Amino acid sequence: MPSSCSTSLSFFVAAILLTGIPCTAQSVQALELRELIRHVEQQYHGSSSHARTEMRVRTEHWQRSLEMEAWSLERDRFLVRILAPPKERGVATLKVDKEVWNYLPRVDRVIKVPPSMMGGAWMGSHITNDDLVKASHVDEDYTFTLLKESPEHYLIECLPKVNAAVVWGKIVYEILKPLLVPGTVTYYDEGMIPVREILFADVRTTGGRTLPMRMTVRPLDKPGEETVLQYQEINFDVPLTASFFSLRTLKER
Amino acid sequence: MEFLRLAWKNLWRNRRRTLITLAAISLSVMLTQASHNLSFGVYAQMIDSGVRAGSGHLTVYRGDYARSRKEELSFDPGTLVEEIAAIDGVARVLPRVYLPALAQSSRESRGVLVTGVDPPAETGINPFLKKIVAGEMIGSSDGRDALLGSRLLKELKISVGSKFVVTLQGPDGDLLSELLRVRGSVETGIKDLDGSLVMVGRQRAAAMAGIPGRVHELAVILQGRAEEERVRPLLEALLPPGGEVRVLSWEEAMPNLANAIKLDYASQRVIFIIIMLIVTIGVVNTLLMSVMERIREFGVILALGATPGRLRRMVLAEALVLGLVAMTLGTLLGAALTWYLVEYGIDLRSLISESLEFGGVVFDPVMRAAWDLTYMVRIALYVLALSLLASLYPARKAARIAPAEAMRHV
Amino acid sequence: MLWRLALRNIWRNKRRTALTVSAMVVSSSLLILSLGIFSGMLSDMLASATEQYYGHLVVSVTGYQDDRDFFDNFSPDPALLERIASTSGVRGISPRLRAFGLVSHGQRSDPAEILGVEPASERQVTRLQEKIVAGSYLPDDPEKGALLGRGLAERLGVNPGDELVFVTQAADGSIGNDLFTLRGIFATGDSRHDNGLVLVGLSALQRLTVLPDRVHELAASLEDPMTAGATAAQLNGQLPEGLEATDWGQLLPEMQEAIAASDVSRLIIVTILYFATGLGILNTFFMSVMERTREFGILMALGMRPWRVRAMVLLETLAMGGVSLALGISLGLALSLYMATVGIDLSESITPITYAGGTIAPRLRVVMEPANFIVPSLLLLVVCLLAGFLPANRAAGLDPVAAIRED
Repeated sequence: MPSSCSTSLSFFVAAILLTGIPCTAQSVQALELRELIRHVEQQYHGSSSHARTEMRVRTEHWQRSLEMEAWSLERDRFLVRILAPPKERGVATLKVDKEVWNYLPRVDRVIKVPPSMMGGAWMGSHITNDDLVKASHVDEDYTFTLLKESPEHYLIECLPKVNAAVVWGKIVYEILKPLLVPGTVTYYDEGMIPVREILFADVRTTGGRTLPMRMTVRPLDKPGEETVLQYQEINFDVPLTASFFSLRTLKER
Repeated sequence: MEFLRLAWKNLWRNRRRTLITLAAISLSVMLTQASHNLSFGVYAQMIDSGVRAGSGHLTVYRGDYARSRKEELSFDPGTLVEEIAAIDGVARVLPRVYLPALAQSSRESRGVLVTGVDPPAETGINPFLKKIVAGEMIGSSDGRDALLGSRLLKELKISVGSKFVVTLQGPDGDLLSELLRVRGSVETGIKDLDGSLVMVGRQRAAAMAGIPGRVHELAVILQGRAEEERVRPLLEALLPPGGEVRVLSWEEAMPNLANAIKLDYASQRVIFIIIMLIVTIGVVNTLLMSVMERIREFGVILALGATPGRLRRMVLAEALVLGLVAMTLGTLLGAALTWYLVEYGIDLRSLISESLEFGGVVFDPVMRAAWDLTYMVRIALYVLALSLLASLYPARKAARIAPAEAMRHV
Repeated sequence: MLWRLALRNIWRNKRRTALTVSAMVVSSSLLILSLGIFSGMLSDMLASATEQYYGHLVVSVTGYQDDRDFFDNFSPDPALLERIASTSGVRGISPRLRAFGLVSHGQRSDPAEILGVEPASERQVTRLQEKIVAGSYLPDDPEKGALLGRGLAERLGVNPGDELVFVTQAADGSIGNDLFTLRGIFATGDSRHDNGLVLVGLSALQRLTVLPDRVHELAASLEDPMTAGATAAQLNGQLPEGLEATDWGQLLPEMQEAIAASDVSRLIIVTILYFATGLGILNTFFMSVMERTREFGILMALGMRPWRVRAMVLLETLAMGGVSLALGISLGLALSLYMATVGIDLSESITPITYAGGTIAPRLRVVMEPANFIVPSLLLLVVCLLAGFLPANRAAGLDPVAAIRED
C-alpha cells in the first residue's frame, strides 16, 4: 500500500464531517483537561452537517485537487462525494459505524472495503480507510497532562492507556485560547519520535460557529508531502436522518 | 546337508570366482538396503516435521475448514483437549485459532495471519519455533505478547518490545482492534510465513475475534505415526454426534505434504526398480557365467558316474549356498551402512543454507536413515530367490551335457 | 594381426560374449534412463517455478524485485527490448505491469495481484496457457479480458463470460476502476497464484493504473535456464542506469536451495546407480577374462609375448565394450525417448505439489541431456577396460606353467 499513515486521525476525519457544537466562552480554568479535549473533539461532532470542501494532496508521486461534498450525522455516519475533477466526479464514500463502502460511477458498483484494504489511502490522500473507521476516541483511550499554559495556548500531552488499541506513543495537542480551537496536533511513535502532525489554520466564523477552516496533514517521515483540506461552505444541524446514509444514496449522482 | 557341504567345498575350489560373485551380490544388497533406508528415514523426518509444523498426525476440524479456511468454522472444544490428551499414544494436543487481520505500527501496515496457540504446548513441538532470532517465545495464552515473523517485524519498522495494533473482522462483520506487544521474532525460512506470522496466545486471539474459548483446529501429535490407526477411532468416539466436528488424518489435512512425499516416493520407486534390475542382471550374469565356465568340469563329473539329477541338484545347492552367504554378508554390510546413516546422517548444511522447504514445510538439513527391517528382509530374500532362479537354467543345461562333448569344451 | 586374433576370440566363445554384452547393454541403458528421469525431475522442478510465473530472468528498476514498489516502473524503449531479445540464449521476452488491488463480483471482493501482459509475448515466457481449466487463454488482443486463478474464481463465484470489477490505487492517486470480462480460469496448483493472481492485457492495466507505456519488468525465458546467472551478469553490463537483471536464482532463493538439496540426494542415488552398474559390468568382464588364465598360459607357452597378451585382451574388451556401449546407448536412447514422450502420469493419485515457490505436475518423464549419455559411456568404458586389463596383466605376469595349471 502506498500510504502508511495510521489509525485515529480523529481530527482530520472529524473535520471532514465537520459538525459542531458552538464554542461557548467558558472559563478555561474550570475545565478539566479531559473535558477540554472532549470539548475540542466535539466541535467536530454533533447532530448533523453539510459541507463543501477542497482537498489538495501532494505526495512524492502525485499532486491532486478534489472538490467534495460531505454530509454527516452524529459521529458514526458520513457520506462524501467527489464533484471535481470530472474524471472522478461521482466517486463517493459511505461510512456507517465501522464499515466503509466506495461507490465507483465508472463501473456503477459499490465496493465494501475489506479489512485487508483498511491500510490503504483514502482517495489518494494521507488518510487511510482505517482512519475513517476509527474516528475519535481520544477522550476514552488516553490520559492527559498539561505540559504548558500560556496566554495564547495550552499544550496537552495525551498518553495512551495501557491496553488501548492505538499505535502512537503519545499525542500532543496545542489548543489555542480563547476560542479553544486546535492549533497543532503532533503524533509520536513509541520511541517518542514525531511521526506526523496536523496543522489547523484559517479560523473563521461560518454557519454560526468559529472553527479552523483549513487543516494540513504532514507525514514527518516524508518531507514535502501533505494533504490540505479547505472548507468552502458549511451548514450545521441540517435535516438528515439515518436512512439518508444508505447504499442507495451512495449511488445517486 | 551333505549336499550343502559339498557345494560349499566346490565353491571354494575356485576361490577367486566365488569371491568376485560374492562381492558383487553382497555389495548390491548393501547399496539397495542402505539407500532405501536413507530415503525411508528422510520421508519419516519429513512427515514428522510436517505434522509438527502443520496440523498434527490427526486433526479435528469443523466442516470443511481444512479446505475452505472460513473463519466462521470455529468450534467450542469444551473438555476435548484434555480428553484427547488422555488417550494412550497421544503425545500432545495443540488447539489453534487462525485469523486473517491487518497489523499496524505507527509507520506501516501489513496483512497478517494471526495464529492463536497454547504457548507451552507448542514449545518443543513446533519446528517453526526453532529459530527465534530476537526476544523469546510468548508465555501465556491470554497475554498481549506476540511472536512475529522476522520479515514482518522489519516491514512494520518495529522491534522487540514495541506495540502494534491488529484489526480484524468480527463475526458480525464489524471491525475489532486490539493492542499487542512484540515479545520475539522468529525465522521459519518460509518467505510467506516470515512476512505474515503473528503468533499470540489462543485465549487472546479468540477473545479479540469475538469467539472467546473457540478454536479452528485441534492438532493431535501422536507418539508415533504407527499409532494413527489405533487412536483415530478412539478420538472419533469423543467427538459430539452429528459429524460436524470431525477428524482428518495428516494426509487429508495436508494433501500438499502427502503428495510431495508420494511423488518423491514414486520416482524413488522407479529408480529402485532400475537399481534392482541392474543388480539382477549382475547376479544372473555372474552365476550363469560361473556355471557355463564349468561345463568341462561337469562333463568330468558325469563321466565319473554322477547322475544328471545329482549334478542338477549340486548346481542348485551351490547357488543356494552362494546366495545365502551373499545375502547374509550384504545384509550385514547394509546394516552397518544404515547404522552409520542413522547415527551420523548426511549433512547438507555444507551445501545449502539452513532452511529447506518441501511441500510447505521446513526440514532438518541433516538427512538421516531409519531402519526398515521388512524391506531389508525382502531385499535379502529377493536376492536369494534370484540366485536360485539364475542357476535353474545352467543346472538344467548341466544335467543335459553329453560327457564326451563337454570334456572337449574349452 | 592382434585385432584379428581378438575378434576371433570374441566370436569363438559366443556364449560368454553374449553374456558380457547383454549385461553391459542392459545396465548401461538403464543407467541412462534413470539419469534422464532425474534430469526430468530437476527440469520439472525448475520449470514449475520459473515457467509458471517468474520467467528465467527479469529486467526491472533496481530494487523492484525486493519490495515491488508500484512506482518503480519504467518505459522500455524499443532499442532496449531489441537488445535483450537479441542476447544469445534468450528465447522470449514479455513486458509486464503489476498492481495490487481488489477483484469484485456482486457483493464479494477479494484482494489480488493483477498482472498486465501482452499474451503473445507472455506465452513465450510462461506456460499459464497450459493450465487453463475453464474458458480459454487471453487472445492476442485481450481488450478487457481477464484470467483468474481457480480458488479466486470459486470464492467470487464467477464463470467465464462473467463481469469483474477491478479496483486499485492508480499512479495519479485516483481510484483506478474498470469492468473486465472473465475469459478463462487457470489452476496451477500453487495456492498463492490460484487464490490471488489475475492476468489482464498490458494496455488495459496501463489505462487502469494511469501508467501509459510503463512496465514494472521485462520477464525473459532462456534456452537453458541454468545459464540465467551468466546471462543476467552479461545484461547487467549493458543495461541503462537504474535497471537491473535478476535471474531466477535470486528471485527464488528457496528454489535454488531446493535444487541444491535434491542435487545432493540425486548425487547419492546416481552414485549408487553407477556403483551397481559398474560393479555388474566389472564383474562380468573380470570373470570372463579371469576364466581364461589357462588359455593365456598356453599362448605364452607357445611363444606369445606377455605384452601381446595384454594388448590382445585390451583390444577384446575394447571391442566388446564399444559394441555393448553402442547398443546400450541406443537402447537407453529408445527407453528415454519413450519416457520423454509418454512419461508416467501420476495425476490420478497425486495432485500438483508446491515446492519452494513452484508447482510440480505429478508425472515422471525424461529430459535428454548429452551429459547423461556421455558421462556413463566414458565411465563404463573405463570400467570394462579395467576389468579386462587387470586379470590379463596378472596372467601375463605369471609363469606360463603356473598359468596353465590354474583352474
